[in-house]
Amino acid sequence: MTAVSDMNTPSQSLNSGLQPDGLPARLRRRYFRTPGNAVISMVGMAALFYLAFHALDWAVLKAVWISPDSTSAVCRDIAGACWAVIQQRWRIIIFGLFPYDEQWRSMLACLVMVATIVLSCLPWSWRPLRLSILWCAGFLIFYVLMRGGLFGMRAVLPADWGGLTLTVFLYAAGVLIGMPMAIAMALLRRSDMPLVSRMTGALIDGVRSLPLITILFTAALIFPFVLPGWLQGDKIWRVIIGFALFFAAYQAEIIRSGIQSIPVGQEEAAKALGLSYWHRTGRIILPQAFRNALPPTINQLVITFKETSLIVIIGFFEILASGNAAYGTGEWSFAYFEVYIFVALVYFVFVFSLSRYGAYLERRMRFGQH
Amino acid sequence: MSEAAVRIAGMNKFYGRFQVLRDINLDVRSGERIVICGPSGSGKSTLIRCINRLEEHQQGRIDVLGTELNDDIGNIDHIRRDVGMVFQHFNLFPHLTVLENCTLAPTLARKVPVEEAEATAMTYLTRVRIPEQAAKFPGQLSGGQQQRVAIARALCMKPKILLFDEPTSALDPEMIKEVLDVMVELAQDGMTMLCVTHEMGFARQVADRVIFMDKGEIVEQGRPAELFDNPKNERTRTFLSQVLSH
Repeated sequence: MTAVSDMNTPSQSLNSGLQPDGLPARLRRRYFRTPGNAVISMVGMAALFYLAFHALDWAVLKAVWISPDSTSAVCRDIAGACWAVIQQRWRIIIFGLFPYDEQWRSMLACLVMVATIVLSCLPWSWRPLRLSILWCAGFLIFYVLMRGGLFGMRAVLPADWGGLTLTVFLYAAGVLIGMPMAIAMALLRRSDMPLVSRMTGALIDGVRSLPLITILFTAALIFPFVLPGWLQGDKIWRVIIGFALFFAAYQAEIIRSGIQSIPVGQEEAAKALGLSYWHRTGRIILPQAFRNALPPTINQLVITFKETSLIVIIGFFEILASGNAAYGTGEWSFAYFEVYIFVALVYFVFVFSLSRYGAYLERRMRFGQH
Repeated sequence: MSEAAVRIAGMNKFYGRFQVLRDINLDVRSGERIVICGPSGSGKSTLIRCINRLEEHQQGRIDVLGTELNDDIGNIDHIRRDVGMVFQHFNLFPHLTVLENCTLAPTLARKVPVEEAEATAMTYLTRVRIPEQAAKFPGQLSGGQQQRVAIARALCMKPKILLFDEPTSALDPEMIKEVLDVMVELAQDGMTMLCVTHEMGFARQVADRVIFMDKGEIVEQGRPAELFDNPKNERTRTFLSQVLSH
């Protein structure tokens, strides 16, 4: 009893020392502890407010949002942002060169693809059967909507697909094809057979030593000369395969690093229980490897999303290229800054959601950790 | 006359040019309880890891439950289902709950229905006295509890032979007894056991035979009383004096 009360007194006084934790007190403690601190804080905050005000002033207060006559005349002689360019040209940014009257299809297809991605991120869908049904359905609906030629919809060739829809499609298809390739490459590289592991290693290193642009270039322009006609397929598919291969080469090494960080005892215990290679790999090794490799995997997914913009080099108008086209007419050419901000915002929404999802996964998985 | 559970004849094993096991001859009867001891690096762990082929031997012959161990992977997986193993560092699967650790191999490798596997798992978890931990993850348990789960996991496959590779060496002293108690019960139930351990009290209590190894060889073997109280070989005597002196 005495011991307890002895313990209580100092801890109470300690608490009361930290107790007044309202906002002003916290600000004072953190930013105004010494005169030097106070000066630096004041200068810093003043600069911050100044910049924030200017940004707000430009982006909101003095901005023009709507062009009543569909021309850029409304933006002449203004000191703020000309968001009218987005209001007038957003369809080009989002849908690219897709025929104007059919753009509802592109919109719908894009939503279907995003919904498929979001649904497959939910723990509920993490069953092989559910995931395969989800993705087959997702891609099928997307393809029918975009390609048309069925149900009285006008056919639209992939060369005319564009904008955000194309970006999302290229990304989803590339990652979806690339991820199994990456797993296969990581496992083959660990094979006991020297020939298999060396050849996989050579493939991974080979692909990694080439810039993505050269791979896309080869897939789009060189392969038609090399491959027999029936193997060529549409340019978009060759580009997706090239894109997937590039993603897979990096992701394979990430997965391999995840596998290597698992203690040997895990595989031994699984072997000792009589589990077959596929059961050991699928139930013991890969789940732990992905958990270990989650941060670099999210990293790679983020980088890959931004790399989709490179397909402009072979003539596809993904969202960034469509943005260029949106202000490319002489009339709106002054408004490139607003267009880029809009495109950046779209990228931000996707990439930021992805990294928040990564953080959620890490929290979720920490529960079962050592 | 019971059949031989394990029969090892003229077995040699090398790591590169270094010979780790030298002319091993060992017959284990069904139901026999064997304790293998010896100084570190004597090859005792390697020996029992050869029995479920976590290590491959280069010369000689090993028969387990009537099947020879060779490169036939199907055979190996089959034998491993009948030969359970408990490791020094538990090697529980950290991403699965205690119950899932126990049901994974029976459902996948033995194709036992899930409900049946879960019922069996709960029986064995009760037997090792931790049924209440079934829903937890291994990382939430103490070392002694984890090792008991590992024993239950091995038992869920209903093995005919159990191998123990220094099961108490990684445990804090106060947790050793709870694991040894479980092992003693298993031994009394007639399980065929090969235990690499330094727990001489355990050896005295349950072992039918104690094998002393040094430098990759079986130096001496016999009933625990004979071997501990009246060792014939000089190396056995030196080792026992070091282990038993404190």
